[in-house]
Amino acid sequence: MRMTRKVVLLSILISTLFFAGTSFAGPVFDRVKETGVVNIGLQFNSIPAAFYNAKNQWVGFDVDVAAEVVKHLTPYVGKELKLKKVKVNNKTRISFLTSGRIDISTSNMTHKRERDKSIDFSITYFFDGQKIMVKKGKYASIKDLVGKRACAMQGTTSEKNLANLYKSLGDTETDKNIVSFQTAADCFLALSQGKVEAWSTDSTILLGYAAKMPGKFELIGDFISNEPYGMGVPQDDSAWRDAINFALQDMWNDGTYHAVYNKWYGPDTDYYFPLTEQIEMWP
Amino acid sequence: MGSASVKGEGSANFIYLLKQCGVVVGLALIIYLIFSNADMGYDFHWAVIYEKNQTYKEIFGLWLLRGLLLTIKISVISALFALGLGTIFGIGRLSLFKPFNWLATCYVELFRNTPLLVQMFFWYFAFPLMLPEAWVSFLNNHNFEFVASILGLSIYTGAYIAEIVRAGIQSVPKGHTEAAVASGLSTVQTLRYVILPQAFRVIIPPLGSEFLNNMKNSSLAMTIGVGELCWQFQQIESFTFKGFEATTAASVIYLSLSLGISLVMNSVGHHLKIGPAKKLNLFDILLSKMVAPVLMLIRILPGAMQYFTQKIRSQTDDEIEISATVSPLKLFFNRVIAVLTMTFKGILLALIISILVLSVKGLINFNWGVIKGNFVSLLIWIYPAGAESGEFFNGLGGLSISFLMAVISISVSFFIGLAVGIARLSKNPYINTPAVLYIEIIRGNPLILVIFWVYFFSPIITGMDINVFWSATLAFIIFSGAYLAEIVRAGIQAIPSGQTEAARASGLSGFQTMRHVVLPQALKLMIPAIVGQFITIFKDTSLAYIIGVFELTTVSQTISSRLMIYPFEFYISIGFLYFVCCYSMSLGARKLERKYAS
Repeated sequence: MRMTRKVVLLSILISTLFFAGTSFAGPVFDRVKETGVVNIGLQFNSIPAAFYNAKNQWVGFDVDVAAEVVKHLTPYVGKELKLKKVKVNNKTRISFLTSGRIDISTSNMTHKRERDKSIDFSITYFFDGQKIMVKKGKYASIKDLVGKRACAMQGTTSEKNLANLYKSLGDTETDKNIVSFQTAADCFLALSQGKVEAWSTDSTILLGYAAKMPGKFELIGDFISNEPYGMGVPQDDSAWRDAINFALQDMWNDGTYHAVYNKWYGPDTDYYFPLTEQIEMWP
Repeated sequence: MGSASVKGEGSANFIYLLKQCGVVVGLALIIYLIFSNADMGYDFHWAVIYEKNQTYKEIFGLWLLRGLLLTIKISVISALFALGLGTIFGIGRLSLFKPFNWLATCYVELFRNTPLLVQMFFWYFAFPLMLPEAWVSFLNNHNFEFVASILGLSIYTGAYIAEIVRAGIQSVPKGHTEAAVASGLSTVQTLRYVILPQAFRVIIPPLGSEFLNNMKNSSLAMTIGVGELCWQFQQIESFTFKGFEATTAASVIYLSLSLGISLVMNSVGHHLKIGPAKKLNLFDILLSKMVAPVLMLIRILPGAMQYFTQKIRSQTDDEIEISATVSPLKLFFNRVIAVLTMTFKGILLALIISILVLSVKGLINFNWGVIKGNFVSLLIWIYPAGAESGEFFNGLGGLSISFLMAVISISVSFFIGLAVGIARLSKNPYINTPAVLYIEIIRGNPLILVIFWVYFFSPIITGMDINVFWSATLAFIIFSGAYLAEIVRAGIQAIPSGQTEAARASGLSGFQTMRHVVLPQALKLMIPAIVGQFITIFKDTSLAYIIGVFELTTVSQTISSRLMIYPFEFYISIGFLYFVCCYSMSLGARKLERKYAS
């Protein structure tokens, strides 16, 4: 008898293991329409895009945008949808999409052609650019950084852009001078402790961290690259992608987008970043 | 085994080997067929490893080789340092000089009971905060990532080696020393010819597996930005999104590295074996030529060891005066040694006191209010507030998730270990070979790789998405299953074969014998080792940080990145939390061991 109980327990364990959080393969649009649940991948360590605030609430620009997109999807899907937030990081955000674990990835992701081979993107919903942050007053221009150590996050486009920039400026030991860490927090720690002289990534992330220690850091030089953020969606599901694009455009037209933008990047915030461009709009 | 070789035995062995090879080839074919026929929604593109990539104009295979070189470099340097540390503190564990003994015990317990990942972060991010500004900037300009990884690895592995050295020295029965002395050997001769040769035979095999672990652990250096093998394969993944191919390539490299190390260690073990000499096959002879330098080192090492042990013995065993007549030269020599011993003791005491004072002073100055305010978060994260937003386990995280992962992993992997361990002992090549393959492949790879494997592999194979928590837990299950299988095998082998024979003779079936005679006894023997494996898994849950599971390490980073920056406070605190859990469990394990020892 004891053995059978053990066997039952074991099989329960194994089955929970395999069916926990299961979703079914197939066109995303139909599934979302059927289940009424949208799984959205959000980061959790990126200020001010998506992070945990002092009350341990999951907040940020991306979090609010995701919530609004879900609301604005209602007319196109035909029913009220429920948002399910899924934590992703730089390593998991694309594979979660390809494996169907999430339906949308709203996670500081630049729309890159190399990425477009594996997933699809919505229209650009945020216009960022890559910059370089250093300790205040230490370096006047990017050129002075040649031969000095700089860091980036592993698996990001900014890592590649930074390496290319170093090479183009005549840095001979780029492999040695560019250190890659796993998280933005690690990068900021390394910069503030002087382990590296510079940290390069999308300017809003840099602003978010710089605001933690006001007056100690500054962003130097022009944008190294344009980083148009798109929402990642699974490959080849145009009904789903259309619905998201329409929802984003509706958000822009009814003013929701600007309200969310001003809440996180407006002039009264710690992360002031003027909105200079307009999202793609279809009549 | 040791019986005279009959002519038929050789050919039987050959047929067995052939069958084993057949099973391996068969399995490979099955896997290949599954892969080539099933549509898994994944486009395999192996050329990514050896071809020149058109977008980036790079051959990614070269990156892997560059990573491999760095892995070897880190492993060798840290192994050497660890050996030094381990020898000193291993002897310290047996020293009768209390402060030294106490220091060694603290060192061993502290570093064996905290995760290497946390230690790595500590050395890299937190430790420099205690150093003077000038030192820090010097270190930062001299590849501190590399230095910190060496520091972390050697101190961690050193703690394990210390225990091996201690056990080795203790393994020589006291009677041997007494007999040697009684038969007229001098202390030096006793050490040189009686104690050390035996102690080293005990030390070498576990030392080898510790070096192997050290090599695998070097993969953690990637978390502090060292471009070793593990880092490089992820770099390839992030450039090409071909995670499956990059992980496979890295696995194969790690596996060959592990295989190389264990072959060398086996051969060394071969030469150290006491008893009738086993017939060497061609492979062993070939290897023995290759390991000749290692053997040389082993011959020299006892000399060095002997110097230390002798010094300790001379301070402790004063009452044993061996020779009646002492030459003046020897008297002078003894004086010198006595003075040296005193200075050594003095320096050691001063060192311990200064470490204590410095750490107390350092600890007080840090901002512990941060930890106090977030302590509950470290334990359970935002549970149960995550329920409304539909978070996993209602937002449970932190220490409790680490614990949960470890409990699930150990309970499931116990059954896997039991099945595979028994299968490995089977004489049937069709049962035994898959078991051997599973055990060796998993044990030859670092845990990080197994985590990535499950992570990349499970969606491709099953077509389902599983939460990162389950993905990581599955990896821990597969990983510890292989280790538990070896524990089970050892446990079963420890049961005298007479018992099996008696059970079979009295009419029990093979299964009944296993179920009612062998396993109940073997399991009793295994319990301490299983608890040890549980502690290991508990520490290893920190690695789930890499794929973003909200366990203790990730939680502490999330909090620490939101509140300004308090790396020191956070790494010390989570190190302490891990330590409290692991140490209390290892105390429990020791109690069990004593209970079942009789």
